[in-house]
Amino acid sequence: MNLLSPDVIAILMLDGILSLFALLALAISVRIVLKWDADATTPLQYTLEKRAYLVATIIEYIFYLKLPLFLYFIYTLDLLSNILPGAMCAAGVTNATVYGMWLFVVKILDLYLFGLWIVVHRIDMRRPDYPYTKPKFLFFILIFPVFMLEYWLEWRHFGGIDPHVIVSCCGTLFSAAKTSAVSAFVTLPTPVTLGLFYGNFLLIVAAWFFKKPLLTALANLLFIPVAIVSLIAFFSTYVYEMPHHHCPFCLLQGDYHYVGYAMYTALFVGTFFGIAAWVAERLAYPAAKRWMKWSLIGDILYVALVSYYPISFYLKNGVWL
Amino acid sequence: MKNLFAFALSSLTRRGGKNFFIFTIFALMIFILAGIFTITHALKAEMFATLEALPEITVQRIVAGRQTDIDAERAERIAEIPGVTDAMPRVWGYYYFAKAGVNFSIVGVEAFGTSYKSSLESVADLFGEKLMEGDTMVVGPGVAETLARNFFKDYFYFVKPDGSLKKVTIAGIFKPETTLESNDIVVVEQGLARELFGMSEEAATDIVVKVANDEEIPTIARKIREIYPDTRVVTKEDLRISYQNVFDYKSGIFLALFIIAIFTFFIIIYDKASGLSSEEKREIGILKALGWKIGDILKVKLFEALVISLGAYLLAVTLAVGYVFGLNAPLMRDLFMGYSVLKPPFELPFTLDVGTLALIFFTTVPVYIAATLIPSWKAATLEADEVIR
Repeated sequence: MNLLSPDVIAILMLDGILSLFALLALAISVRIVLKWDADATTPLQYTLEKRAYLVATIIEYIFYLKLPLFLYFIYTLDLLSNILPGAMCAAGVTNATVYGMWLFVVKILDLYLFGLWIVVHRIDMRRPDYPYTKPKFLFFILIFPVFMLEYWLEWRHFGGIDPHVIVSCCGTLFSAAKTSAVSAFVTLPTPVTLGLFYGNFLLIVAAWFFKKPLLTALANLLFIPVAIVSLIAFFSTYVYEMPHHHCPFCLLQGDYHYVGYAMYTALFVGTFFGIAAWVAERLAYPAAKRWMKWSLIGDILYVALVSYYPISFYLKNGVWL
Repeated sequence: MKNLFAFALSSLTRRGGKNFFIFTIFALMIFILAGIFTITHALKAEMFATLEALPEITVQRIVAGRQTDIDAERAERIAEIPGVTDAMPRVWGYYYFAKAGVNFSIVGVEAFGTSYKSSLESVADLFGEKLMEGDTMVVGPGVAETLARNFFKDYFYFVKPDGSLKKVTIAGIFKPETTLESNDIVVVEQGLARELFGMSEEAATDIVVKVANDEEIPTIARKIREIYPDTRVVTKEDLRISYQNVFDYKSGIFLALFIIAIFTFFIIIYDKASGLSSEEKREIGILKALGWKIGDILKVKLFEALVISLGAYLLAVTLAVGYVFGLNAPLMRDLFMGYSVLKPPFELPFTLDVGTLALIFFTTVPVYIAATLIPSWKAATLEADEVIR
């Protein structure tokens, strides 16, 4: 039971506040989706238009707070690894309960979803007739259960951590051994992993070159799992300079100059704007080109960061790991 | 954007009184929270620094669930376990000085022998000859002061368990490196310590074990448990985790209580921000009549909230750092120090990490902004024609 660690309390409290606001936003969203009529001049429509502002403000607040809070969440997991026997980084804490990994996945999914909502909202506000108001609130109603799921998982996870039970360290969780969850990826031959990774990256560059937003979005969507798997299977070993240390979490520790935060931020920026660019193009918003460029910059930054480690290792030692 | 920000700033100064009140209260709350967390963090850092100097494994004998004397001979058997660098029996305990109502920590050392702690070893070397002369002691500054106040300037009469008196002269006073651990210490020769506690010649309080390779600690601890099933084997890691838990628990309880305060504050802010004066309403009405959109007014309101909360945060954290590390946190540190008279006048080591600052930030600033969200929206959606009429 680690609910009394101050960091955990802070996170649960903030997500509690966010959930309350989200609930309020949900109630208004449902009314808007049911009753919205842009052509009507009724008092109801007038009230709804005003309330739409409140929902938008709330969702923007949730998103902009969630971004730093997510980093803080990772940091807290790292802190908790000091208390849990066996855990040496956030990986052990994440796997302390069955909910941990799902919590992580849902949290990341939420960031993308809320971010996309804001993109749609921004586009909507630029148009005089608010054409996307109904779809965007419907979109929020669909996001809401995911957000609640995240909050529920968070309680289950932090509540379920037992400081007396020994958890696995990332060394076993991400090993090539058959029992580990990701052994299938780790045991992939290196050329295949690297081919996939750089092939996908080339696809993104090509999509940018030929100005194909749909291709950019799809390539970026694919790039999220490909980048993470290749990071676990190949690149992380060079960051640690240890052939058997496959871990996506230890990167976030001070021993490696917190390089993980930079990598994941770059990856998020790259893939997020890649997807957002397609959304913008579909909604006939002129920022699509600009966002594709940002996406490309983020992706290039990520690729450069992860590629730096093996290359510098090879230059220093003259061998591959 | 820049103009809206400038407008927000000027709007804040125009209603200085109301905003100053909120700003002060909010800063005070953050200050209290920041004070508690920085003290906790500093104490934790000091504890961990102390912990580094401690032996890897401590072996205690448990009888009927309570710790009792252990046979000093066992140290030799433990020292034979592969991987153990050294195993030393320790003789130490507390002596209650009834007149001043304080406990001294009596630590027995072997003069010129190796000790489990380098700081003690240097004491033993420095005052070795004097300690060997017998019936002498080296005391911490706090002890010396207490004794002097009770007219024991050069010597002290210990009352032994059988009631007889034992005169021990003060051979020296040592200035400890980490004041937290050594203020109440009395160092004597091991034989004398046994005499004062009424322990037999072969007995020791516990046995400390040095292990060269940290990786081997759990295995060695298990072996000791197997050889002597009546012992409790405590490793450094165990201590570290339990310290961490104690501090987390303390600040966790505090934060849990603090949340109540912050929610009360939430309501106050909500109320304050909702209750617009007719002048403010008029202002918003005029702005909207001039063509300001709902989004613009929302932005101004948000900027106001940001300026107040971030300003209060920065001010409070700066003040808290000064209060804790400059003034040594008067009043607040007593929460953590316990009530013993002889607790040392220690200095908190300067430690401040991003994590603590982030924790303080996340428990205060977003809550403030959340409280202003709905009132800001209400203000921004006021009807221009209604309020300037």
